[in-house]
Amino acid sequence: MRYPSSAEALKKEVPALAKPLKGISYAKYGYLFSIPFIVIFLIFWLYPTVYTCVLGFTDCKGFGNTSWHILENPLDNFRDVLKNNSFKVSLKNTIIIWIMNFIPQIAIALLLTAWFTSHATDIKGKGFFKVVFYMPNIITAATVAVLFRTLFSYPIGPINDLLMSTGIREAAYNFTVDKKAAKLIVAFIQFWTWYGNTMIVLISGVLGISPDIFEAAEIDGANSVQTFFKITIPNLKTVLLYTLVTSLVGGLNMYDIPKLYQDGGPDKATLTTSVFIQQQAFSGSYIYNKAAAASMIMFLIISVCSAVLFWIMRDKDEAKIEKEKKLARKAARKAERSF
Amino acid sequence: MSVTNKKKDVPFKVFAYTFCIFLTILSLFPFVIMIVNSTRSTNQIQSHAISLIPSHYLVNNFKVLTSKTFDPFRGFLNSLIISVGSTFCAVYFSTMTAFALVAYDWKLRKPFFTVIMCILMIPAQVISIGFYQFMYKIGMTNNFLALILPSIAAPATVFFMRQYMIPSLPMEILQSARIDGAGEFRIFNQIVIPMMMPAMATQAIFSFVTSWNQLFMPSILLTRNQLYTLPMMVALLNGDTYKTEFGAVYLALFLTVVPLLAIYFLLSKYIIAGVALGGVKG
Amino acid sequence: MKKVFSTICALALLASMTACGNTTPGTDDNASTPDTPASQADDKSSEADKPKDGKKTTLKIYAFTEEVPGMLKKYLEMNPDFAAQYDLDVTVVNTTNGEYQPALDQALSAGGKDAPDLYCAEAAFVLKYTQGVASSYAAPYKDLGIDDVEGKIKDAKLASYAVDLGTNPSGDVVGLGYQATGGAFIYRRSIAKDVWGSDDQKTVEEAIGAGSQSWDKFFDAAEELKGKGYAILSGDGDLWHAVENSSDAGWEVDGKLHIDQKRENFLDLAKKLKDNGYFNDTQDWTEAWYTDMKGEGEKGVLGFFGPGWLINYTMAGNCGGEKPGEGTYGDWAVCTPPVGFFWGGTWLMCNKDSQNKEAVGKMIEWITLDTSDTGLQYLWANGTYDPANPTKDVVASEVVMSKSDGKVAFLGDQNMFDVFTECNKFANGKNLTPDDEKINSKWRDQVRQYTAGNKSRDAAIADFKSDVTDELGIEAE
Repeated sequence: MRYPSSAEALKKEVPALAKPLKGISYAKYGYLFSIPFIVIFLIFWLYPTVYTCVLGFTDCKGFGNTSWHILENPLDNFRDVLKNNSFKVSLKNTIIIWIMNFIPQIAIALLLTAWFTSHATDIKGKGFFKVVFYMPNIITAATVAVLFRTLFSYPIGPINDLLMSTGIREAAYNFTVDKKAAKLIVAFIQFWTWYGNTMIVLISGVLGISPDIFEAAEIDGANSVQTFFKITIPNLKTVLLYTLVTSLVGGLNMYDIPKLYQDGGPDKATLTTSVFIQQQAFSGSYIYNKAAAASMIMFLIISVCSAVLFWIMRDKDEAKIEKEKKLARKAARKAERSF
Repeated sequence: MSVTNKKKDVPFKVFAYTFCIFLTILSLFPFVIMIVNSTRSTNQIQSHAISLIPSHYLVNNFKVLTSKTFDPFRGFLNSLIISVGSTFCAVYFSTMTAFALVAYDWKLRKPFFTVIMCILMIPAQVISIGFYQFMYKIGMTNNFLALILPSIAAPATVFFMRQYMIPSLPMEILQSARIDGAGEFRIFNQIVIPMMMPAMATQAIFSFVTSWNQLFMPSILLTRNQLYTLPMMVALLNGDTYKTEFGAVYLALFLTVVPLLAIYFLLSKYIIAGVALGGVKG
Repeated sequence: MKKVFSTICALALLASMTACGNTTPGTDDNASTPDTPASQADDKSSEADKPKDGKKTTLKIYAFTEEVPGMLKKYLEMNPDFAAQYDLDVTVVNTTNGEYQPALDQALSAGGKDAPDLYCAEAAFVLKYTQGVASSYAAPYKDLGIDDVEGKIKDAKLASYAVDLGTNPSGDVVGLGYQATGGAFIYRRSIAKDVWGSDDQKTVEEAIGAGSQSWDKFFDAAEELKGKGYAILSGDGDLWHAVENSSDAGWEVDGKLHIDQKRENFLDLAKKLKDNGYFNDTQDWTEAWYTDMKGEGEKGVLGFFGPGWLINYTMAGNCGGEKPGEGTYGDWAVCTPPVGFFWGGTWLMCNKDSQNKEAVGKMIEWITLDTSDTGLQYLWANGTYDPANPTKDVVASEVVMSKSDGKVAFLGDQNMFDVFTECNKFANGKNLTPDDEKINSKWRDQVRQYTAGNKSRDAAIADFKSDVTDELGIEAE
C-alpha cells in the first residue's frame, strides 16, 4: 500500500537530511530513538490485538472463565455476529450517527478555517473564537452526556421548560423514547465536541502552506473562493486525510456519549458497535468470544474504509516523482561508490 | 461564503460574525448552565432548570456533594496522575519517534512510518478484550501504569510531530552541535525539544484532554474506588443516590471541568497562534 | 515499490510471529489459571493480614446504595474495640443503569488485595451471586464464625423466601438480608380525602380493589381520579414492580426466555395508563419521579407501589420536608395492594477469599441475624438507628417486628407494620432469575416504545425476544 503522505513528505525531507560527519553512520540512532515506540506498541497494542483476534475463534465466555479452546468451526463466532440483529442495527447506527456528525463538522470546520486564515477578510477576535470553539472538546464526555441527559429529560427538564415557556410546545416532548431525537442528540453532541478540534488541526495545515503560493494566486487575480478551492484544499490533502482517518476511527468507535446518554437506547436507537461490544463482553454477559469477533469485524471495516480513503486521496503524481527520485539516488550511490 | 476580494463586503461580515457568535453561544451555553446551576438549590432547578441568574447555594451544594462517597479531590488527583503521565509519555516519545523518522536515514524508516499510519487505525476499544485479559494476567489491573504506558506509542501524535518537524527543524543546527561534540541524545533533549515546543504544546492539549476524558479503559481496569478517575465518578452520578440533589450534580460536573479549563487557558496561546503543519518551505 | 512492500510484509510477518510466540504459552497459562490467581491472591492478602503495629486492617465493602455502608459505620461506632482493629473502604456503585454488577464482577474476579471482603446484591441479581455463575465467590455463613446459622434463622423467624434466595446449590446459606420487601400501596392522604371523602386505609383498599388479584378496580379508581384532575401513579415503572414480582414464572424457564402471561399483560396495562393519562408518564429514578413524591408534578399523584424501603430510603428524602406540614411529609399512608408483590431487598455476602472472614461475619451477623435490642434490625425497625433521620423500616425478622413499634410520622402516625406484615406474605423467590436486571431493562424499553405508539404490541414482544437473544445470549422459548 502507498500513502501519499509518506511520499509527499519524503520529497520534502530528502534535501533536508543532515549529511553525517565523516566516517560516522547515524542510522543506528534512527532505530534507537524508535525503540520505545516499538516496544510499547508490541506489548500494549499488537499483543492485545492478536489476543483479541485469537479469542474470536474460541469458546471463551462466561464469568471468571479463563480456559478456552479453539472452536471446531473457528468462524462460528464471526458468523453468529454477522447474523446478530443487534450487531447489524448497531453497525447501521454507528455509520448514520458518524455521517450525521461528520458532515456538518468538517463543513463548518473548513468554513471557519477559510475565514480565520484568509488574507482577504480580516475577522476580528479570531483568537477568542478559536479558543471558545475548541472548548467543548475539553469537557469529559461523561459530563457532556450527563448534562445533555439532564437538558432533555422528560416530563420536566430544561429544554422542555424552554419549549413550553416560549410557547413552542404546549405539552412536554418525550425526547427519551423518540429514536430519531436520540440519534440526533448523540450526533449533535459528537459534532459539538469535535468541530473545534477539527478546525484547529485544519488551521495548522493551512498555516503550513507556503505564503508564496497564495501571493501568486492573488497576483493572478483569484478571489478567495477560488483560492480556497484551488489552492488551500489541494495543499491541505495530507492534513485532511489525517482528519478524515482519525474522525473515521473515532466515529466508528463511538462509545462514551451513546453509552452514557441512554446506554444505547431507546430501543437500540443509539446502540453503536462499541457499546454492543462492551455490553457483550463487560456488562455482565461475558460473551468474550463473540465480542472479540465483533471487534475484529469492526477492525476490518475500519481498515478497509481507511484504505479506501488513502486510495482516493492518493497523489497520482507522487508515485512518478518517487520513482524518479529513487533512480537518482541509486545513481548517486553508484557514483559515490565508484568514486 | 460570499465573494469578498479586498473590498469591505458588509453582508459577508455580518453573516460571518453572526455565525461565529452563534457558535460561541452554542459552545458556551452548557458551561454557563453548569456554572449557574451549581449555585442553585435543587428546588430552584426543578422549577426552572435554565436560568442565567446565580443563586447562593454553592456552599450548600458542595456540602451535599462531599457528604456522599463522591470524592472529587481523589478523582482529580487520580485523573491528574494518569493524564500528566500519559501526556508526557505521548508528547516526549512521539517527538522522539518523529525525530528518528525525520533526522536519520535508516533502512526501515519508510516501512516504519507506514506501520505507524496503520496503527492509527487500531481503535483502542476494539482491542479492549485482549488488553483487559492481558493486563489481568500480568496483574496490572488497578495499576495506573496500564493506562499511562500505552500512550508512548501514540501514532497520531507521531504523525503530527513529524509533519511539523520536517519543515521546521534545520539540519544545519544538528550538524554544528555534532561538531561541538554533543551526543545524539543531548542534541534531542537540548536542541530539538525546545524548538518543537509550539507543536508539543498543541499536542499536549490534545493528549491531555483525551487522556483526562478517557472512560472506557479506566472503568474496565480500575476496580478500587480510591483509584477511580473523575470521569468514572461522573458516570456514576447518573445513579439514584444523587439524582435528588441536582445542584450538587451540576457542581460535580463543573468541578470535573475546572482543571481542564485551567490547563487549557494556560496553553491556549498556542491554539490562538496556530501551529504550522507541513512544508512552509514549499 | 516492490521492495517497500516486501519489507512491510516481512515486518508484519515478523511481528505476528513474535506475537504468536507469545500467544502459545499464553494459551497454556490460561488452561492452568484457575489456581494461579487464587494462590496469588492468597500470597498478597496473607501479607496484608499480618497485623502491623498501629495499622488497622481495611475491610473492603462493595454496595449499590449508601444503606449498608451506613450500617457498617454504625457498627464500628457501637463497637470501639472492633473499630480499633478495622476500618472500612467503601465502594458504592449505583445500579440505576446496571453499572454495579460489572464493577463487582471485575472486583471479584480480579481478586488479590483489591477484592471486596463484604459485598451486597439486590433481588434483581442476587441469584447470580448465590446460585448462579458467581456463586463460587460467596463464602457460607458458617465459615464466617457464625455458629448455628440454621438455628438462628429459625429463632429470628426470617422470611423463608429470603433464606431460599440466599442459599447456594450445596445447601449452605451464603447471603441474608435485613429487610422484608413485601409491597404495599403508598398513597397520599389528602388526595384520597378529596376523591373518596376519607383517607382511611379501608376506604382506599376498597377503592383500588385491594387483594382482588385483578387490576380492574384499580383502573376504575384511576378513571375516578382523572375526573378530579389527579393521576393514580407517577410512571409505568410503579406498576411494573407490582406486576413483575407477582407473576407466576420468571424470565428464564429451563434456560430459555419465557414471558409470563402477567408480565405480557403489563403491555396493555401500561398502554391504558398512557392513553388515558392516568399517570404523569415519568420514569422511575428520574427527577420527574421524585418531583411527584414532592407533589409538584404535572398532576397530583395518588400513590406509589413499594415496600418499606421505598418509604424509608426514597420517599422520605424526596417529599420536600422533614416534619409534618412540610412538603408531603405526613400526608402518606399505606394499604394493601390489588395484587400481592415484593420488590427488591439487599443480601449481604462475604468473599470466600477474604482474609477477614471473622470480622465480616461479626458485621453480617449483627445486621442479618441479631434480634436483640442492640441488633441492627431492631434499631432499623424502630428508627433509633439514625437520630437525624428517624425513619422506620420493615425488617426481615418477624421476632423483631413483633416487638417493634411501626408508627411513623411520615405516614401520619399510621402503624405501617400491620399492613406490611400482611404484604410480606406474598413475597416469594420463585419468579426471580439471575439476569433479571438486564432483561427487565430491555423489556421496559420495549414497553415504552409500545406505549409511546412507536411500534405495535407484537413488534415490541418480537423485538424484546430478539434483543435478549442477541445481546444476552438467552434463546427465546
